[in-house]
Amino acid sequence: MKANAGTLTNFEVLDLLNSRGASNDTTRVIAPISTSEYTRLHVYDYLMETPACTQTQEIITNFSDQCKYFKLAKAEILNIINIRPSSTVNLAPILEEPSERGIDKKAKEGILKLVEALLPPPPIVEARGDNEEEETEEGEQS
Amino acid sequence: MFCLSEMEDTVRVPPDLLKLPLEVAIKKVLQKLLLNKVLSIGLCVTIYDIKSAEGGFVLPGDGPATYKVRFRIVVFRPFVGEVIAARFKESDSNGLRLTLGFFEDIYVPAPLIPRPNRCEPDPYNRSQMRWVWIFEEQEYIIDHSCQINFRVENISYPPVPTEQAEDAKPFAPMVITGTIDDDGLGPVSWWEGCSERNNEDDDT
Repeated sequence: MKANAGTLTNFEVLDLLNSRGASNDTTRVIAPISTSEYTRLHVYDYLMETPACTQTQEIITNFSDQCKYFKLAKAEILNIINIRPSSTVNLAPILEEPSERGIDKKAKEGILKLVEALLPPPPIVEARGDNEEEETEEGEQS
Repeated sequence: MFCLSEMEDTVRVPPDLLKLPLEVAIKKVLQKLLLNKVLSIGLCVTIYDIKSAEGGFVLPGDGPATYKVRFRIVVFRPFVGEVIAARFKESDSNGLRLTLGFFEDIYVPAPLIPRPNRCEPDPYNRSQMRWVWIFEEQEYIIDHSCQINFRVENISYPPVPTEQAEDAKPFAPMVITGTIDDDGLGPVSWWEGCSERNNEDDDT
């Protein structure tokens, strides 16, 4: 058994679920979902509210290639693709010990410019919960 | 947060499925066995593909056909240090509980909530406690109102308990411990419009 035969971006999982008809799954409205369907459908719902739903394979490959210049770890590139940080403060928790690796303010700005240029903005998500407030774009307003 | 895991298992295909193409029949059996379950590799989401299936023998006295199957499965298993977008589920004096919808056992214990803070009874929900971060004399409540970004500190797979008290919480086979005590973590509304102010501090 190989526990890790490769990491997948959120987009790749969403794409896979879409190709298996997750978006057309009307059966969950009509009939109770079996337990094996539960996770798959809820993963689909989750991913549709993340930047993954505006991405394509080409966008991700292109972004990963361009990131090489910044000497980021593979895990960090994956995390940036999934979260699509729009400001230095959103990027900060994703990078591990940036100053020790020579990733300075200029490099961070470079990474954010690349994100802005290559990764489409995330979907507009309304807040859920008890209160009436509505949330506007999760990305920064430019 | 997702990866592919390659596994090998013995799969018994019951007679009523044998009329289907083999790959479809095997996938059906695997889905029933694995999906929505937590293995040591994480929460199984969907079968990715069947790499090979050998056998097809019917053992004496047994209806199903037995196959040795190599396959790949998509699992939810974040890495330590990963930043993930989640929603608030509930909170108590121990800390916060967050949810992804498909996975709800994410806990941010009190020490990983930014300080100074206070924990008080939730005025909107008498049975809950809520957490409030205090920063520069402003109060930041942690509640349902927006997405909460957390970073994975640890993932554990508690052993199945042999006994459980009647009022104990349902057993969680996979538990993620997260932190929101860092720049950019916590409710996303805390950081909106913040980038200029924090530019000087971002080399910590």
